Amino acid sequence: MQPDAATPANGPAQTPITIGVLALQGAFIEHITLLQRAAATVTSKHPGTPLSFIEVRTPSELASCTGLILPGGESTAISLIAERCGLLEPLREFVKVQRRPVWGTCAGLILLAESANKSKATGQELIGGLDVRVQRNYFGRQVESFEAGLRLKFLEGQEPFHSVFIRAPVVEKVLGVGGEGVEEGEGTVVAPARRAQKAEVEIMGRLPGRAKALRDQTTTAEDLGEDGDIVAVRQGNVFGAAFHPELTGDERIHAWWMEEVIKAAKAA
Amino acid sequence: MSTNGTNGTTTTMPSSSAAPSQSSFAVKAGLAQMLKGGVIMDVVNAEQARIAEEAGACAVMALERVPADIRAQGGVARMSDPAMIQEIMRAVTIPVMAKARIGHIVECQILQSIGVDYIDESEVLTPADPVNHVDKNAFNTPFVCGCRNLGEALRRISEGAAMIRTKGEAGTGDVVEAVRHMQTVNAEIARASSASDNDLRMMARQLECDYALLKETARKGRLPVVNFAAGGIATPADAALMMQMGCDGVFVGSGIFKSGDAAKRAKAIVQATTHYKDPKVLAEVSIGLGEAMVGINCDKMGDEQKLAKRGW
Repeated sequence: MQPDAATPANGPAQTPITIGVLALQGAFIEHITLLQRAAATVTSKHPGTPLSFIEVRTPSELASCTGLILPGGESTAISLIAERCGLLEPLREFVKVQRRPVWGTCAGLILLAESANKSKATGQELIGGLDVRVQRNYFGRQVESFEAGLRLKFLEGQEPFHSVFIRAPVVEKVLGVGGEGVEEGEGTVVAPARRAQKAEVEIMGRLPGRAKALRDQTTTAEDLGEDGDIVAVRQGNVFGAAFHPELTGDERIHAWWMEEVIKAAKAA
Repeated sequence: MSTNGTNGTTTTMPSSSAAPSQSSFAVKAGLAQMLKGGVIMDVVNAEQARIAEEAGACAVMALERVPADIRAQGGVARMSDPAMIQEIMRAVTIPVMAKARIGHIVECQILQSIGVDYIDESEVLTPADPVNHVDKNAFNTPFVCGCRNLGEALRRISEGAAMIRTKGEAGTGDVVEAVRHMQTVNAEIARASSASDNDLRMMARQLECDYALLKETARKGRLPVVNFAAGGIATPADAALMMQMGCDGVFVGSGIFKSGDAAKRAKAIVQATTHYKDPKVLAEVSIGLGEAMVGINCDKMGDEQKLAKRGW
Protein backbone atom coordinates (compact mmCIF):
# COMPACT_ATOMS: atom_id res chain seq x y z
CA MET A 1 0.00 0.00 0.00
CA GLN A 2 1.41 3.43 -1.00
CA PRO A 3 1.77 5.76 0.80
CA ASP A 4 2.75 3.92 3.93
CA ALA A 5 -0.21 4.00 6.33
CA ALA A 6 2.13 3.97 9.30
CA THR A 7 3.70 7.28 8.43
CA PRO A 8 1.67 10.10 9.94
CA ALA A 9 0.28 12.38 7.26
CA ASN A 10 1.57 15.93 7.19
CA GLY A 11 -1.00 18.47 8.24
CA PRO A 12 -4.66 17.82 9.00
CA ALA A 13 -5.21 15.47 6.04
CA GLN A 14 -7.15 12.34 6.92
CA THR A 15 -4.85 9.63 8.16
CA PRO A 16 -5.89 6.23 6.89
CA ILE A 17 -6.16 3.83 9.81
CA THR A 18 -5.28 0.18 9.31
CA ILE A 19 -6.09 -2.07 12.23
CA GLY A 20 -4.42 -5.46 12.12
CA VAL A 21 -5.50 -8.56 14.01
CA LEU A 22 -2.74 -11.11 14.61
CA ALA A 23 -4.07 -14.19 12.79
CA LEU A 24 -1.65 -16.95 13.79
CA GLN A 25 -4.11 -18.91 15.93
CA GLY A 26 -7.24 -18.16 17.96
CA ALA A 27 -10.38 -16.05 17.67
CA PHE A 28 -9.11 -13.43 15.20
CA ILE A 29 -12.14 -13.46 12.88
CA GLU A 30 -14.37 -12.56 15.84
CA HIS A 31 -12.29 -9.41 16.44
CA ILE A 32 -12.51 -8.39 12.79
CA THR A 33 -16.30 -8.88 12.87
CA LEU A 34 -16.64 -6.59 15.90
CA LEU A 35 -14.22 -4.01 14.45
CA GLN A 36 -16.37 -3.87 11.34
CA ARG A 37 -19.46 -3.40 13.46
CA ALA A 38 -17.78 -0.69 15.57
CA ALA A 39 -16.58 1.10 12.43
CA ALA A 40 -20.00 2.75 11.94
CA THR A 41 -19.83 4.45 15.37
CA VAL A 42 -16.22 5.49 14.90
CA THR A 43 -16.77 6.84 11.40
CA SER A 44 -19.70 8.98 12.59
CA LYS A 45 -17.34 10.68 15.08
CA HIS A 46 -14.38 10.88 12.75
CA PRO A 47 -15.84 11.35 9.29
CA GLY A 48 -13.28 11.12 6.56
CA THR A 49 -10.93 8.81 8.43
CA PRO A 50 -10.71 5.71 6.26
CA LEU A 51 -10.66 2.52 8.34
CA SER A 52 -9.47 -0.86 7.17
CA PHE A 53 -9.03 -4.17 8.97
CA ILE A 54 -6.55 -6.87 8.04
CA GLU A 55 -5.41 -10.29 9.24
CA VAL A 56 -1.70 -10.24 10.13
CA ARG A 57 0.48 -13.29 9.49
CA THR A 58 3.71 -11.77 8.11
CA PRO A 59 6.15 -8.96 9.04
CA SER A 60 5.09 -6.96 5.96
CA GLU A 61 1.42 -7.14 6.93
CA LEU A 62 2.40 -6.00 10.43
CA ALA A 63 4.38 -3.06 9.05
CA SER A 64 1.26 -1.73 7.30
CA CYS A 65 -0.74 -1.50 10.56
CA THR A 66 -1.52 1.66 12.52
CA GLY A 67 -2.64 -0.47 15.47
CA LEU A 68 -2.77 -4.16 16.31
CA ILE A 69 -5.02 -6.55 18.24
CA LEU A 70 -3.63 -9.76 19.73
CA PRO A 71 -6.66 -12.06 19.99
CA GLY A 72 -7.61 -14.78 22.42
CA GLY A 73 -6.26 -18.23 21.67
CA GLU A 74 -3.53 -20.36 23.19
CA SER A 75 -0.69 -18.05 24.16
CA THR A 76 1.93 -20.82 23.89
CA ALA A 77 0.81 -21.73 20.37
CA ILE A 78 0.65 -18.08 19.24
CA SER A 79 4.09 -17.32 20.62
CA LEU A 80 5.71 -20.44 19.07
CA ILE A 81 4.13 -19.76 15.68
CA ALA A 82 5.18 -16.07 15.84
CA GLU A 83 8.74 -17.11 16.59
CA ARG A 84 8.82 -19.51 13.61
CA CYS A 85 7.30 -16.97 11.23
CA GLY A 86 9.96 -14.42 12.20
CA LEU A 87 7.26 -12.23 13.74
CA LEU A 88 8.35 -12.11 17.37
CA GLU A 89 11.03 -9.43 16.98
CA PRO A 90 8.92 -7.28 14.61
CA LEU A 91 6.10 -7.52 17.19
CA ARG A 92 8.43 -6.34 19.98
CA GLU A 93 9.60 -3.53 17.73
CA PHE A 94 5.97 -2.56 16.98
CA VAL A 95 4.91 -2.57 20.65
CA LYS A 96 7.99 -1.41 22.54
CA VAL A 97 10.04 0.69 20.14
CA GLN A 98 7.63 2.16 17.60
CA ARG A 99 5.03 2.23 20.38
CA ARG A 100 2.07 1.86 18.09
CA PRO A 101 -1.31 1.14 19.73
CA VAL A 102 -1.76 -2.51 20.69
CA TRP A 103 -4.58 -4.33 22.45
CA GLY A 104 -4.41 -7.91 23.71
CA THR A 105 -7.33 -10.03 24.93
CA CYS A 106 -6.73 -13.08 27.17
CA ALA A 107 -3.82 -14.84 25.43
CA GLY A 108 -2.98 -11.44 23.95
CA LEU A 109 -2.74 -9.93 27.44
CA ILE A 110 -0.34 -12.71 28.46
CA LEU A 111 1.88 -12.02 25.44
CA LEU A 112 1.91 -8.27 26.20
CA ALA A 113 2.88 -8.74 29.86
CA GLU A 114 6.51 -8.25 30.88
CA SER A 115 6.15 -11.28 33.11
CA ALA A 116 3.90 -14.33 33.26
CA ASN A 117 3.82 -17.29 35.59
CA LYS A 118 2.42 -20.80 35.35
CA SER A 119 3.92 -21.05 31.89
CA LYS A 120 4.77 -24.37 30.22
CA ALA A 121 7.73 -26.43 31.41
CA THR A 122 10.29 -24.92 29.03
CA GLY A 123 8.96 -21.38 29.38
CA GLN A 124 7.42 -19.22 26.72
CA GLU A 125 8.42 -16.17 24.70
CA LEU A 126 6.59 -12.95 25.59
CA ILE A 127 6.38 -9.74 23.60
CA GLY A 128 6.04 -7.52 26.65
CA GLY A 129 5.00 -3.88 26.82
CA LEU A 130 2.91 -3.90 30.00
CA ASP A 131 4.83 -3.71 33.26
CA VAL A 132 2.67 -6.31 34.96
CA ARG A 133 2.90 -9.92 35.96
CA VAL A 134 0.00 -12.09 34.83
CA GLN A 135 -0.99 -15.46 36.15
CA ARG A 136 -2.12 -17.84 33.43
CA ASN A 137 -5.31 -19.87 33.94
CA TYR A 138 -5.86 -18.01 37.21
CA PHE A 139 -9.42 -19.20 37.69
CA GLY A 140 -8.60 -22.81 36.84
CA ARG A 141 -9.50 -25.11 33.98
CA GLN A 142 -12.43 -24.91 31.57
CA VAL A 143 -15.11 -25.94 34.11
CA GLU A 144 -14.17 -22.78 36.05
CA SER A 145 -14.74 -20.52 33.03
CA PHE A 146 -17.61 -18.05 33.44
CA GLU A 147 -19.45 -14.94 32.30
CA ALA A 148 -19.68 -11.71 34.29
CA GLY A 149 -20.87 -8.12 33.96
CA LEU A 150 -18.09 -5.52 34.29
CA ARG A 151 -18.36 -1.80 35.02
CA LEU A 152 -15.75 -0.15 32.83
CA LYS A 153 -15.41 3.57 33.48
CA PHE A 154 -13.93 4.36 30.09
CA LEU A 155 -17.05 3.19 28.27
CA GLU A 156 -20.00 5.41 27.55
CA GLY A 157 -23.37 4.38 28.90
CA GLN A 158 -24.40 2.73 32.13
CA GLU A 159 -24.78 -0.80 30.85
CA PRO A 160 -22.27 -3.16 32.42
CA PHE A 161 -20.06 -4.84 29.85
CA HIS A 162 -21.03 -8.48 29.58
CA SER A 163 -17.74 -10.35 29.47
CA VAL A 164 -16.67 -13.94 28.97
CA PHE A 165 -13.69 -15.41 30.85
CA ILE A 166 -12.27 -18.62 29.32
CA ARG A 167 -9.41 -20.26 31.25
CA ALA A 168 -8.57 -16.62 31.82
CA PRO A 169 -5.47 -14.97 33.28
CA VAL A 170 -5.45 -12.02 35.70
CA VAL A 171 -2.98 -9.26 36.37
CA GLU A 172 -1.66 -10.40 39.73
CA LYS A 173 0.97 -7.69 40.17
CA VAL A 174 1.71 -4.25 38.78
CA LEU A 175 5.48 -3.98 38.42
CA GLY A 176 7.57 -0.83 38.62
CA VAL A 177 7.83 1.16 35.38
CA GLY A 178 10.42 -0.40 33.10
CA GLY A 179 9.77 -3.84 34.51
CA GLU A 180 11.32 -3.04 37.90
CA GLY A 181 10.67 -5.87 40.28
CA VAL A 182 10.55 -8.51 37.55
CA GLU A 183 11.86 -11.77 38.86
CA GLU A 184 12.38 -14.89 36.87
CA GLY A 185 11.66 -18.05 38.77
CA GLU A 186 10.26 -21.51 38.35
CA GLY A 187 7.42 -21.33 35.84
CA THR A 188 7.75 -17.54 35.55
CA VAL A 189 8.92 -16.04 32.28
CA VAL A 190 9.85 -12.47 31.42
CA ALA A 191 9.96 -10.51 28.18
CA PRO A 192 13.30 -9.17 26.93
CA ALA A 193 13.89 -5.50 27.78
CA ARG A 194 13.62 -2.91 25.04
CA ARG A 195 13.11 0.83 25.40
CA ALA A 196 11.91 1.86 28.86
CA GLN A 197 8.26 2.81 29.12
CA LYS A 198 7.55 6.15 30.77
CA ALA A 199 3.80 5.83 31.26
CA GLU A 200 2.36 4.35 34.43
CA VAL A 201 0.21 1.25 34.48
CA GLU A 202 -3.46 2.27 34.78
CA ILE A 203 -5.98 -0.19 36.11
CA MET A 204 -8.89 -0.07 33.68
CA GLY A 205 -11.13 -2.81 35.05
CA ARG A 206 -11.62 -5.08 38.02
CA LEU A 207 -13.80 -8.10 38.59
CA PRO A 208 -15.72 -7.18 41.73
CA GLY A 209 -18.05 -10.14 41.60
CA ARG A 210 -15.32 -12.68 41.18
CA ALA A 211 -16.37 -14.90 44.02
CA LYS A 212 -19.95 -14.67 42.84
CA ALA A 213 -18.97 -15.63 39.34
CA LEU A 214 -17.26 -18.74 40.57
CA ARG A 215 -18.90 -21.70 42.23
CA ASP A 216 -19.39 -19.97 45.55
CA GLN A 217 -22.60 -18.09 44.86
CA THR A 218 -22.76 -16.35 48.23
CA THR A 219 -19.81 -13.99 48.67
CA THR A 220 -18.39 -11.38 46.36
CA ALA A 221 -15.07 -9.62 46.50
CA GLU A 222 -16.96 -6.48 47.53
CA ASP A 223 -18.50 -8.29 50.49
CA LEU A 224 -15.01 -9.28 51.54
CA GLY A 225 -13.87 -5.67 51.28
CA GLU A 226 -11.52 -6.50 48.41
CA ASP A 227 -11.00 -4.50 45.26
CA GLY A 228 -11.42 -7.49 43.03
CA ASP A 229 -9.02 -9.00 40.53
CA ILE A 230 -7.45 -6.75 37.91
CA VAL A 231 -8.81 -7.77 34.50
CA ALA A 232 -7.98 -4.74 32.32
CA VAL A 233 -4.90 -2.51 32.28
CA ARG A 234 -3.34 0.17 30.11
CA GLN A 235 0.17 1.54 29.96
CA GLY A 236 0.87 4.14 27.30
CA ASN A 237 0.18 2.56 23.91
CA VAL A 238 -0.61 -0.90 25.29
CA PHE A 239 -4.04 -2.06 26.48
CA GLY A 240 -4.80 -5.53 27.83
CA ALA A 241 -7.97 -7.34 28.89
CA ALA A 242 -8.19 -10.76 30.54
CA PHE A 243 -11.64 -11.43 29.06
CA HIS A 244 -13.08 -11.78 25.57
CA PRO A 245 -15.07 -8.81 24.23
CA GLU A 246 -14.81 -10.61 20.86
CA LEU A 247 -17.10 -13.37 22.13
CA THR A 248 -19.93 -10.93 22.81
CA GLY A 249 -22.02 -8.87 20.43
CA ASP A 250 -21.00 -5.70 22.28
CA GLU A 251 -18.65 -3.55 20.20
CA ARG A 252 -18.23 -0.70 22.73
CA ILE A 253 -14.66 -1.58 23.72
CA HIS A 254 -13.67 -1.96 20.07
CA ALA A 255 -15.16 1.47 19.27
CA TRP A 256 -13.42 3.06 22.27
CA TRP A 257 -10.07 1.51 21.42
CA MET A 258 -10.28 2.50 17.75
CA GLU A 259 -10.86 6.10 18.79
CA GLU A 260 -7.75 5.87 20.97
CA VAL A 261 -5.85 4.61 17.91
CA ILE A 262 -7.13 7.54 15.84
CA LYS A 263 -6.16 10.01 18.59
CA ALA A 264 -2.68 8.51 18.77
CA ALA A 265 -2.29 8.60 14.99
CA LYS A 266 -3.34 12.25 14.87
CA ALA A 267 -1.00 13.19 17.70
CA ALA A 268 1.96 11.47 16.06
CA MET B 1 -34.13 -21.73 20.94
CA SER B 2 -32.49 -18.58 22.04
CA THR B 3 -29.29 -17.04 20.85
CA ASN B 4 -26.92 -16.01 23.53
CA GLY B 5 -25.15 -12.72 22.85
CA THR B 6 -25.40 -12.47 19.07
CA ASN B 7 -21.80 -13.12 18.38
CA GLY B 8 -20.07 -12.77 15.05
CA THR B 9 -19.60 -16.36 14.07
CA THR B 10 -20.84 -18.74 16.67
CA THR B 11 -22.62 -19.11 20.00
CA THR B 12 -26.02 -20.63 19.91
CA MET B 13 -27.89 -21.75 22.93
CA PRO B 14 -29.50 -25.10 22.23
CA SER B 15 -33.00 -25.41 23.64
CA SER B 16 -32.16 -26.88 27.00
CA SER B 17 -35.01 -27.04 29.45
CA ALA B 18 -33.54 -25.51 32.61
CA ALA B 19 -30.27 -27.36 32.22
CA PRO B 20 -28.53 -27.96 35.53
CA SER B 21 -25.31 -26.97 33.81
CA GLN B 22 -23.55 -24.00 35.42
CA SER B 23 -21.37 -23.32 32.44
CA SER B 24 -23.29 -21.34 29.86
CA PHE B 25 -23.22 -22.43 26.27
CA ALA B 26 -21.28 -19.25 25.42
CA VAL B 27 -18.51 -20.33 27.78
CA LYS B 28 -18.44 -23.87 26.35
CA ALA B 29 -18.47 -22.74 22.72
CA GLY B 30 -16.04 -19.94 23.62
CA LEU B 31 -13.19 -22.33 24.41
CA ALA B 32 -13.65 -23.93 20.98
CA GLN B 33 -13.39 -20.44 19.46
CA MET B 34 -10.05 -19.99 21.22
CA LEU B 35 -8.80 -23.22 19.60
CA LYS B 36 -9.57 -22.00 16.08
CA GLY B 37 -6.78 -21.89 13.55
CA GLY B 38 -4.96 -24.45 15.67
CA VAL B 39 -4.02 -28.12 15.73
CA ILE B 40 -5.24 -30.58 18.39
CA MET B 41 -2.98 -33.61 18.66
CA ASP B 42 -3.59 -37.15 19.96
CA VAL B 43 -1.07 -38.06 22.66
CA VAL B 44 -0.71 -41.22 24.73
CA ASN B 45 1.65 -40.00 27.47
CA ALA B 46 3.15 -36.91 29.11
CA GLU B 47 6.24 -36.99 26.91
CA GLN B 48 4.17 -36.88 23.71
CA ALA B 49 2.01 -34.14 25.25
CA ARG B 50 5.10 -32.00 25.83
CA ILE B 51 6.30 -32.59 22.27
CA ALA B 52 2.85 -31.51 21.04
CA GLU B 53 2.89 -28.38 23.23
CA GLU B 54 6.40 -27.47 22.05
CA ALA B 55 5.27 -27.92 18.45
CA GLY B 56 2.54 -25.32 19.01
CA ALA B 57 -0.54 -27.54 19.46
CA CYS B 58 -3.50 -25.49 20.77
CA ALA B 59 -4.74 -28.53 22.76
CA VAL B 60 -4.05 -32.24 23.16
CA MET B 61 -6.35 -35.26 23.15
CA ALA B 62 -5.25 -37.69 25.85
CA LEU B 63 -5.90 -41.34 25.02
CA GLU B 64 -4.32 -44.73 25.70
CA ARG B 65 -4.15 -45.89 22.12
CA VAL B 66 -4.18 -43.77 18.98
CA PRO B 67 -6.85 -44.79 16.44
CA ALA B 68 -4.33 -46.64 14.23
CA ASP B 69 -3.55 -48.97 17.15
CA ILE B 70 -7.20 -49.35 18.13
CA ARG B 71 -7.86 -50.37 14.55
CA ALA B 72 -4.94 -52.82 14.46
CA GLN B 73 -5.56 -54.38 17.87
CA GLY B 74 -9.35 -54.59 17.73
CA GLY B 75 -11.41 -55.45 20.81
CA VAL B 76 -13.48 -52.99 22.84
CA ALA B 77 -11.98 -49.50 23.03
CA ARG B 78 -12.91 -47.59 26.20
CA MET B 79 -12.19 -44.35 28.05
CA SER B 80 -8.52 -44.08 29.07
CA ASP B 81 -7.20 -44.57 32.60
CA PRO B 82 -7.90 -41.31 34.50
CA ALA B 83 -4.39 -41.44 36.02
CA MET B 84 -2.87 -41.28 32.54
CA ILE B 85 -5.11 -38.34 31.58
CA GLN B 86 -4.26 -36.53 34.83
CA GLU B 87 -0.55 -37.03 34.22
CA ILE B 88 -0.95 -35.32 30.85
CA MET B 89 -2.98 -32.52 32.45
CA ARG B 90 -0.10 -31.91 34.83
CA ALA B 91 2.49 -32.03 32.06
CA VAL B 92 1.13 -29.24 29.84
CA THR B 93 -0.55 -25.85 30.22
CA ILE B 94 -2.70 -26.09 27.06
CA PRO B 95 -6.25 -27.52 27.22
CA VAL B 96 -6.53 -31.30 27.54
CA MET B 97 -9.37 -33.23 25.89
CA ALA B 98 -10.30 -36.88 26.42
CA LYS B 99 -12.59 -39.36 24.71
CA ALA B 100 -15.68 -41.09 26.06
CA ARG B 101 -17.70 -43.81 24.33
CA ILE B 102 -20.84 -42.74 22.48
CA GLY B 103 -23.72 -42.71 24.98
CA HIS B 104 -21.56 -43.58 28.00
CA ILE B 105 -22.70 -40.95 30.50
CA VAL B 106 -20.63 -42.37 33.35
CA GLU B 107 -17.36 -42.12 31.42
CA CYS B 108 -18.35 -38.49 30.78
CA GLN B 109 -19.05 -37.94 34.48
CA ILE B 110 -15.62 -39.33 35.32
CA LEU B 111 -13.88 -37.14 32.75
CA GLN B 112 -15.74 -34.09 34.05
CA SER B 113 -14.81 -34.89 37.63
CA ILE B 114 -11.08 -35.09 36.86
CA GLY B 115 -11.36 -31.72 35.12
CA VAL B 116 -10.62 -32.34 31.44
CA ASP B 117 -11.28 -29.22 29.37
CA TYR B 118 -13.28 -30.89 26.58
CA ILE B 119 -14.91 -34.32 26.18
CA ASP B 120 -14.91 -35.98 22.75
CA GLU B 121 -17.92 -38.32 22.50
CA SER B 122 -16.11 -40.38 19.94
CA GLU B 123 -16.85 -43.06 17.37
CA VAL B 124 -13.19 -44.08 17.65
CA LEU B 125 -14.13 -45.85 20.89
CA THR B 126 -16.69 -48.67 20.91
CA PRO B 127 -20.22 -47.23 21.33
CA ALA B 128 -21.83 -47.95 24.70
CA ASP B 129 -25.44 -47.05 23.90
CA PRO B 130 -27.17 -48.49 20.84
CA VAL B 131 -29.81 -45.73 20.75
CA ASN B 132 -28.75 -42.47 22.40
CA HIS B 133 -25.87 -40.08 22.39
CA VAL B 134 -25.05 -38.38 25.70
CA ASP B 135 -27.27 -35.48 26.81
CA LYS B 136 -24.44 -33.00 26.73
CA ASN B 137 -26.48 -30.09 28.08
CA ALA B 138 -26.40 -31.78 31.48
CA PHE B 139 -22.61 -31.34 31.78
CA ASN B 140 -20.44 -28.34 32.69
CA THR B 141 -17.58 -29.68 30.62
CA PRO B 142 -18.05 -28.87 26.93
CA PHE B 143 -18.29 -31.61 24.28
CA VAL B 144 -17.00 -32.07 20.76
CA CYS B 145 -18.71 -34.64 18.51
CA GLY B 146 -18.09 -36.06 15.05
CA CYS B 147 -20.35 -35.75 12.02
CA ARG B 148 -20.57 -37.02 8.44
CA ASN B 149 -23.27 -34.57 7.33
CA LEU B 150 -25.29 -31.54 8.42
CA GLY B 151 -28.13 -33.52 10.01
CA GLU B 152 -25.73 -35.39 12.26
CA ALA B 153 -23.90 -32.16 13.20
CA LEU B 154 -27.15 -30.37 14.14
CA ARG B 155 -28.44 -33.36 16.13
CA ARG B 156 -25.24 -33.28 18.19
CA ILE B 157 -25.51 -29.49 18.68
CA SER B 158 -29.11 -29.80 19.88
CA GLU B 159 -27.90 -32.41 22.40
CA GLY B 160 -25.45 -29.75 23.64
CA ALA B 161 -22.23 -30.26 21.66
CA ALA B 162 -20.32 -26.95 21.69
CA MET B 163 -17.90 -27.98 18.95
CA ILE B 164 -18.16 -30.25 15.89
CA ARG B 165 -15.55 -32.14 13.89
CA THR B 166 -15.75 -34.25 10.77
CA LYS B 167 -15.59 -37.96 11.52
CA GLY B 168 -13.31 -38.72 8.61
CA GLU B 169 -11.86 -42.20 8.98
CA ALA B 170 -9.60 -42.24 12.04
CA GLY B 171 -6.38 -44.22 12.05
CA THR B 172 -6.09 -44.57 8.28
CA GLY B 173 -3.93 -41.62 7.23
CA ASP B 174 -6.34 -41.32 4.28
CA VAL B 175 -7.95 -37.87 4.16
CA VAL B 176 -10.66 -38.80 1.65
CA GLU B 177 -13.43 -39.42 4.20
CA ALA B 178 -12.78 -36.13 6.05
CA VAL B 179 -12.99 -34.35 2.70
CA ARG B 180 -16.22 -36.20 1.88
CA HIS B 181 -17.79 -35.26 5.23
CA MET B 182 -16.80 -31.60 4.98
CA GLN B 183 -18.02 -31.44 1.37
CA THR B 184 -21.36 -32.92 2.41
CA VAL B 185 -21.78 -30.43 5.27
CA ASN B 186 -20.83 -27.50 3.01
CA ALA B 187 -23.20 -28.59 0.23
CA GLU B 188 -26.10 -29.05 2.65
CA ILE B 189 -25.47 -25.63 4.23
CA ALA B 190 -25.40 -24.05 0.76
CA ARG B 191 -28.70 -25.77 -0.07
CA ALA B 192 -30.25 -24.60 3.24
CA SER B 193 -29.05 -21.03 2.67
CA SER B 194 -30.95 -20.71 -0.58
CA ALA B 195 -34.08 -22.56 0.61
CA SER B 196 -37.46 -20.97 1.38
CA ASP B 197 -38.91 -21.41 4.88
CA ASN B 198 -41.17 -24.20 3.63
CA ASP B 199 -38.29 -26.00 1.96
CA LEU B 200 -36.25 -25.55 5.11
CA ARG B 201 -38.97 -27.28 7.16
CA MET B 202 -38.95 -30.13 4.66
CA MET B 203 -35.17 -30.22 4.80
CA ALA B 204 -35.20 -30.35 8.63
CA ARG B 205 -37.45 -33.43 8.39
CA GLN B 206 -35.20 -35.08 5.80
CA LEU B 207 -32.02 -34.32 7.77
CA GLU B 208 -33.79 -35.28 11.03
CA CYS B 209 -32.66 -32.11 12.76
CA ASP B 210 -34.10 -29.16 14.64
CA TYR B 211 -35.74 -26.58 12.35
CA ALA B 212 -34.59 -23.52 14.34
CA LEU B 213 -30.99 -24.73 14.36
CA LEU B 214 -31.14 -25.41 10.62
CA LYS B 215 -32.53 -21.94 10.01
CA GLU B 216 -29.78 -20.36 12.07
CA THR B 217 -27.18 -22.37 10.14
CA ALA B 218 -28.73 -21.26 6.85
CA ARG B 219 -28.66 -17.62 7.93
CA LYS B 220 -25.04 -17.76 9.05
CA GLY B 221 -23.93 -19.83 6.08
CA ARG B 222 -21.91 -22.04 8.43
CA LEU B 223 -22.37 -24.34 11.41
CA PRO B 224 -23.39 -22.37 14.50
CA VAL B 225 -20.41 -23.77 16.45
CA VAL B 226 -16.72 -24.19 15.67
CA ASN B 227 -16.07 -27.03 13.19
CA PHE B 228 -12.71 -28.85 13.02
CA ALA B 229 -11.44 -31.44 10.57
CA ALA B 230 -10.59 -34.89 11.90
CA GLY B 231 -9.99 -38.43 10.71
CA GLY B 232 -7.14 -39.26 8.34
CA ILE B 233 -5.11 -36.04 8.36
CA ALA B 234 -1.43 -37.05 8.04
CA THR B 235 0.47 -34.24 6.29
CA PRO B 236 0.75 -30.42 6.36
CA ALA B 237 -0.93 -30.41 2.95
CA ASP B 238 -3.88 -32.44 4.33
CA ALA B 239 -4.31 -29.89 7.14
CA ALA B 240 -4.21 -26.94 4.73
CA LEU B 241 -6.65 -28.73 2.39
CA MET B 242 -9.22 -29.04 5.20
CA MET B 243 -8.65 -25.38 6.19
CA GLN B 244 -9.20 -24.26 2.59
CA MET B 245 -12.48 -26.21 2.61
CA GLY B 246 -13.63 -24.01 5.48
CA CYS B 247 -12.71 -25.98 8.61
CA ASP B 248 -11.83 -23.85 11.66
CA GLY B 249 -8.86 -26.03 12.70
CA VAL B 250 -7.67 -29.63 12.63
CA PHE B 251 -7.34 -32.70 14.82
CA VAL B 252 -4.37 -34.92 14.02
CA GLY B 253 -4.59 -38.34 15.58
CA SER B 254 -2.28 -41.14 14.54
CA GLY B 255 -0.69 -38.94 11.86
CA ILE B 256 1.94 -37.41 14.13
CA PHE B 257 3.20 -40.00 16.57
CA LYS B 258 2.93 -42.84 14.03
CA SER B 259 5.29 -41.02 11.65
CA GLY B 260 9.09 -40.98 11.41
CA ASP B 261 9.93 -37.57 12.93
CA ALA B 262 6.98 -36.69 15.15
CA ALA B 263 8.25 -33.33 16.47
CA LYS B 264 9.13 -32.04 13.02
CA ARG B 265 5.86 -33.20 11.46
CA ALA B 266 3.86 -31.72 14.34
CA LYS B 267 5.50 -28.31 13.87
CA ALA B 268 5.00 -28.49 10.12
CA ILE B 269 1.27 -29.22 10.50
CA VAL B 270 0.91 -26.29 12.94
CA GLN B 271 2.62 -23.92 10.46
CA ALA B 272 0.50 -25.27 7.60
CA THR B 273 -2.72 -24.68 9.53
CA THR B 274 -1.81 -21.01 10.13
CA HIS B 275 -0.51 -20.36 6.61
CA TYR B 276 -3.02 -22.60 4.83
CA LYS B 277 -3.49 -20.10 1.99
CA ASP B 278 0.24 -19.61 1.30
CA PRO B 279 1.63 -22.35 -1.02
CA LYS B 280 5.17 -21.05 -0.52
CA VAL B 281 5.06 -21.68 3.22
CA LEU B 282 3.27 -24.99 2.62
CA ALA B 283 6.08 -26.10 0.30
CA GLU B 284 8.74 -25.10 2.83
CA VAL B 285 7.16 -26.97 5.72
CA SER B 286 6.48 -30.07 3.60
CA ILE B 287 10.18 -30.60 2.85
CA GLY B 288 12.05 -33.48 4.47
CA LEU B 289 9.45 -34.62 6.97
CA GLY B 290 10.57 -38.24 6.79
CA GLU B 291 8.22 -41.13 6.69
CA ALA B 292 4.47 -40.44 7.02
CA MET B 293 2.28 -42.91 8.89
CA VAL B 294 1.51 -46.07 7.00
CA GLY B 295 -1.81 -45.52 5.30
CA ILE B 296 -4.89 -47.67 4.88
CA ASN B 297 -6.86 -46.94 1.74
CA CYS B 298 -10.45 -46.12 2.76
CA ASP B 299 -11.91 -47.15 -0.60
CA LYS B 300 -10.52 -50.67 -0.16
CA MET B 301 -12.05 -50.92 3.28
CA GLY B 302 -15.24 -52.81 4.05
CA ASP B 303 -18.12 -50.85 5.59
CA GLU B 304 -17.89 -52.97 8.73
CA GLN B 305 -14.35 -51.67 9.29
CA LYS B 306 -15.37 -48.00 9.12
CA LEU B 307 -15.46 -46.22 12.47
CA ALA B 308 -17.45 -43.34 10.97
CA LYS B 309 -20.48 -45.65 10.72
CA ARG B 310 -20.72 -45.59 14.51
CA GLY B 311 -23.20 -43.05 15.89
CA TRP B 312 -26.20 -41.67 14.03
